Amino acid sequence: MQANERDLFAATLREAATAHRGGSLDDVLAPMGWSDAYEDDPRAAVPVLFELQGELNASSSALAAVVGSTVLPLAGGSAAPASIGGPGLVVRGLGFGGSFTGETIDLVASSSRGHQRVTVSTSALTIRAVDGIDPSLGLVEVSTASPVHPGAGPLFDWPAAVSSAQLALAHQLVGAARAMLSLARDHAVDRVQGGRAIASYQAVRHRLADSYVAVQAASSATTAAWEVPSPLASTVAKLLAGRAARLGAGHAQQVLGAMGFTEEHVFHHYLRRVLVLDELFGSARALAEDLGRQALETKQLPQLLPL
Amino acid sequence: MKLTGFDLAEFRAGLDAWLDENASELAPAPGADDALAGEITQINKVKRLAWEAGWMRYGWPEQVGGLGGSTLLRGYLGEALAMRDLVKPGFWTMHEMLAPVVIAYGSPSLAAEVVPPFLRGDEMWCQGFSEPSTGSNLGSLACRAVRTDAGWRVTGQKVWTSLAHLSQRCLLLTRTGTPESAHRGITALLVDTDTSGMTIRPFQTMHGVEEFSEVFFDDALVPYSRTLGEENDGWSVAMDLLPFERSTSMWLRNAYLYTRLQRLVSTAPEGAVSAAALGDVLAQVFAFRAQSRITQYRLAAGEHLGPETSVDKILLSTTEQSVFDLAAESLPGEVLFDDSDDASKWRSEFLYSRAATIYGGSLEIQRNIVARRLLDLGAES
Repeated sequence: MQANERDLFAATLREAATAHRGGSLDDVLAPMGWSDAYEDDPRAAVPVLFELQGELNASSSALAAVVGSTVLPLAGGSAAPASIGGPGLVVRGLGFGGSFTGETIDLVASSSRGHQRVTVSTSALTIRAVDGIDPSLGLVEVSTASPVHPGAGPLFDWPAAVSSAQLALAHQLVGAARAMLSLARDHAVDRVQGGRAIASYQAVRHRLADSYVAVQAASSATTAAWEVPSPLASTVAKLLAGRAARLGAGHAQQVLGAMGFTEEHVFHHYLRRVLVLDELFGSARALAEDLGRQALETKQLPQLLPL
Repeated sequence: MKLTGFDLAEFRAGLDAWLDENASELAPAPGADDALAGEITQINKVKRLAWEAGWMRYGWPEQVGGLGGSTLLRGYLGEALAMRDLVKPGFWTMHEMLAPVVIAYGSPSLAAEVVPPFLRGDEMWCQGFSEPSTGSNLGSLACRAVRTDAGWRVTGQKVWTSLAHLSQRCLLLTRTGTPESAHRGITALLVDTDTSGMTIRPFQTMHGVEEFSEVFFDDALVPYSRTLGEENDGWSVAMDLLPFERSTSMWLRNAYLYTRLQRLVSTAPEGAVSAAALGDVLAQVFAFRAQSRITQYRLAAGEHLGPETSVDKILLSTTEQSVFDLAAESLPGEVLFDDSDDASKWRSEFLYSRAATIYGGSLEIQRNIVARRLLDLGAES
């Protein structure tokens, strides 16, 4: 897409998503042709949609399209959501509720000959809603009660799919972190205590400044991951975005004070969302430990970003 | 080799090959100690060799002996030197920061006279900004310059002036307006450090280096030809240093931190370094790099760099402390108790890194800038 097409795409998506606030964006994405845009120009389609999802606290099944598998890994890791072994195909993963309405789905499974994408009948799957801390995300747990026997599927580049997912989630976390910072910033400017806006107090200003720096660093890492793609760049972008979102949630909560602690205030929806998003495809904590362990085992830091 | 226009890939390949071919000549002289004078000798040698071979001249305008081309080439030169451990990051910052404003604000003849010797390693310069009562609040500086028939007559004191006693020239901010004129009454001068009436008294930092000085001016006479910019417009000069302090030289500083973290990983005994802590520090180095890379390209494209570079400074300072905190936590036996060369270097670097959130605008000042200018939080109470 040209720059002006991107801008138009972003504006249209924003308008539609804002009008549709609260529910799944799947109904909006299909008529807009988001999947085609994604196939055609992921660099245009992914940041716009996922930052918007983060900002509006919206949800869609677009992550499954980015991964290329309707079933996603269980929280906490990036292992393929299914495996093919002696008894057949065993599925255990997560998905977005709206994705299982058809007769079949595609998912990625590990096997002795590498990762494959296979087609599975939805009737063979057990699908259970995952409410947990963030029911509005619409996650479901997907499993097979007994092994199934799909036909062999094409080999699939799972590590590349993990990188794509991490980068998309990094954008969503950046969007959410920005939204929380914006809530806190506006509150700090409006809220008067001791005769002055609380934004005039350095303790408040420095919290918000630290949130800003963290989200800016994460955002710059996503830019780097598009400009000079590598598995490391996507992983670090996800790690930094997860950290920025958690830090930003803490600072925003404190600045919002008691108002941010109410059911009525929108803040808690962001808090719930970023905690769950951080766990998908590796939490910041787990990714940091993996990075460190690899460097210690090889006694070699990975090559960073070239100029 | 003369590159036409912008070609970073060609520059990178050519420079890397030259650095490899001349590795022994570029390396610090055998027996050179780590003392400050030795480091300045080393940096000047590297600049001289790189100037003669042409590499030091790219990214600088022809009026000061440069060969033109993008500032990205200067960024990469710094990275390549840091990756080979040939220069210290702090001292490389001096010409990257000070030369551009002399080119921009000095007369063409002054720039053509003084900048080439600085770039080719014949000279070191220093930055005379801070004063005993003027740290973070630069607009309150008091070192006075008065017009006379013979030139500016300067009286007053500077402090924390890094490398002053090893420098030939000093970029000095002076008070030329009334004491109340704040940032509107400041004039920038380029002063020779052997000027009569100028006394430089070095003192030690806590890491045992005579890095900075007190500088006293007692009726020191500075010719008008050494005025940078207009009278009372020194604030612009000071502000225009920032884009350079926060861009080309920061790329080298990131590369330097990467090499030190690599050194830690390759030498620490099994089990000494926490994997989780290392991963986090590595991510910080990456974040600082990703942020700085965007800034490098903005500078090269001629964009105005403003308060958003406070993010770069914050990331530099916090990342630098994280790297050396990790080293100190992982190698307490070496950093705290050992006196070997390697251990002494870690100790010195660890102690020096404590200053990273203080110099060049403290962390608090940077957060204030982010709050006021980037988050639009209004005035502080």
